[in-house]
Order: sequence, then structure tokens, then C-alpha cells
Amino acid sequence: MTVLPWAVAAWLLGIGLYGIITSRHYLHLIGCLTVLQSSTYVLLLSAGYRWGAGAPIFYDHPPGTPAVDPVVQALVLTDIVVGATVSALLLALALQVHKRRGTLDPEELRPLRR
Amino acid sequence: MKPAARLVVTLVAALALLPGVVAVILHMPSFGDHALPYGDAINRLAPVERHVTNMVTAVNFDYRGFDTLGEEYMLLAAVTGALVLLRGRRGENVSDAPAKADGRSIAPRSPAVMLICRFFAPVLLLFGVYVVLHAQLTPGGGFQGGVIIGSGALLLYLGESYRTWRRFMRSLIFDMIEATGALIFVLAGFGPMMAGAKFLENTLPLGQSRALISGGLILVTNAGTALAVAGGFVLLLLEFLEETRALDAGDKS
Repeated sequence: MTVLPWAVAAWLLGIGLYGIITSRHYLHLIGCLTVLQSSTYVLLLSAGYRWGAGAPIFYDHPPGTPAVDPVVQALVLTDIVVGATVSALLLALALQVHKRRGTLDPEELRPLRR
Repeated sequence: MKPAARLVVTLVAALALLPGVVAVILHMPSFGDHALPYGDAINRLAPVERHVTNMVTAVNFDYRGFDTLGEEYMLLAAVTGALVLLRGRRGENVSDAPAKADGRSIAPRSPAVMLICRFFAPVLLLFGVYVVLHAQLTPGGGFQGGVIIGSGALLLYLGESYRTWRRFMRSLIFDMIEATGALIFVLAGFGPMMAGAKFLENTLPLGQSRALISGGLILVTNAGTALAVAGGFVLLLLEFLEETRALDAGDKS
């Protein structure tokens, strides 16, 4: 049980990488990159977790109540939002590639095989 | 390299790395039961030092504010890049007719969709503003609230039409909102230096803990982030939806 979160993070990284390596379509590749990226969220949030602790918000609970690590949560939060815009940038790239070349298959997009 | 060969190389590399991965996983600290020195320090100090109740906000917009400044400019760079790629030579004066696929008409929206969107668009906007304003108190903040506001704008397209969306969403306005947000964050950094403090040092009055106006400089950096994120997301939606517009004569995609 105690190794499960780390194993899940490693698994997500692994299948994300596998998807990128075997990808035959750029949209699929961007999706795989998002899966790969989410492994870091699992890893960070697991690293900051503590059994029986609450959220690091001391509005209803007085300061000093056991709480999980807010630092990793802040990292994950900014990462998710920035990750979404980076995905948008990659999708925009894919869109332009499709307009120019008519395909999104990495094998057909090699510059030498025009 | 052929796909099959690539897969073989990957499998060999994965098999070589597997023992290391397993060893690392087995030697990781026990889940949920290990020391969290930095998190505990923040949980202990931030309520006293910054008069805020949301520790995540205290980390994002104060203790690690410099890091968030970098993140915000990454966001700005990604949005700018996507806009440069998509916008082409398009201006504001192009037609607002939606494109049609060959032989298919644009289905009219059902009244139920319109009603739900008209009801939820203001609610979602209000909720986004609430999440932004209560960043220092309860779960939320500029990043989450900005995304909620940006997604709420999409209901205008969903519930009304592409034409209405185009009429209300002028990209210049959202360019300005996004740039203002990014600028506010930088000025919040340089402002304290004018008073002789350090970059991004929280020198504003901190206010009463658990009050809406509390946390000092956190309010300013949070508002800047909310503007930048909301503006950036609306701009992205705007440019992607432009792809559904009918092409004008002389349009270059």
C-alpha cells in the first residue's frame, strides 16, 4: 500500500513515454504528453500527503491543526494551468502542420521525405 | 528508425532501467507518514506572518512569488506563441460568418441549451470572481478563478452563436487584460523596491486575518495572475474558434 502512489506515478510516466514513442498521430502524441505530465502531479501530491491531516486551509480550523504540505500543492496548481496553455500551443502547432502538409503522422512528416 | 526497431530499443532501455525504478520505488519514504519540514514551516508561520488562511496561496503569491512570476510568464509566452501561430494576417475587420462543412447546414441551437447557457454564464463568471477574491481565505486563487472565468466565456459561444461570440469577444480587449495582469505582477515586485524593501517583499498592510482584505501584497499578485490567466484562456479559445470561421477572400490561414 505504501508504495502504490510511487508505482502509479512511475506507471503513468511509463505509459506516457510508450505512447509518445509509438505515436502515429500528433494529437495522440499531445494527449500522451499530458498523461506523462500528470505523473508529476501524482508524485508531488503523494510526497506532500500525510495520513489523517486536513487541507492546508486554516479558515474553519485553527492554525496548528494537522495539515498536508501546501508547497507541493502550490507547485502542482501552477503546473496544471501552465500545462494547459502549453498543450494549447502544441495543438496550435499541430493545426498549422496539418494545414501545410495535410497529415499529422510523424512518419510522413520527415523533412527528407517530402 | 523504423517504428518496430524503435519499439525494440525502447523495450531494451525499459528493461535496463526497470531494476533502478523498482529500487527507487521501494526506497521512497513511506507514503503519508514522513516529515514535511517545509510544509510544516509554512503552515506554522504563514498565518502569523501574512495573516492569510489559505497556505497554498501564501506559497504561490508570497513565499514562492518569484517562481510564480516565472510561471506566469511561461503562460504568457505559451499563449503568445499559440496566438502567433493561429492568428495569421487576420484582423478585427473580417467577416463573422461561421464556416460550413460541405453539404451540411449549421443546426440551430435548442432552446434548452440557450436557456442553460444564459443562466450559467453569469453564475460561472460570478463564481470565478468569488474564487479569485477569496484566494487568501478559502480554496481558490488567481489561477483557478482565471480558468473558471475563461471557461465561462465559452458558454457565450455554446449558447448563442459564433456571431455573438465574435461581437463581444474583441481580441484587443483580452490582449490588454492579459498584458495588464502580467504587468501588475512585475510592478508588485518592483513596487516594494521603491520603498527600499526587497523584490516582491510583502510591505503592504496585512489587515485582519480571515477578512476579505488581508494578506497585503498577496492581493495584488493574485489579482494580476487572475487577469493574466483569464485573458490568456479567452484569447486561446478565441483563436481556436476563429478556425471555425468562413474564410474571406484574401484570407491567409
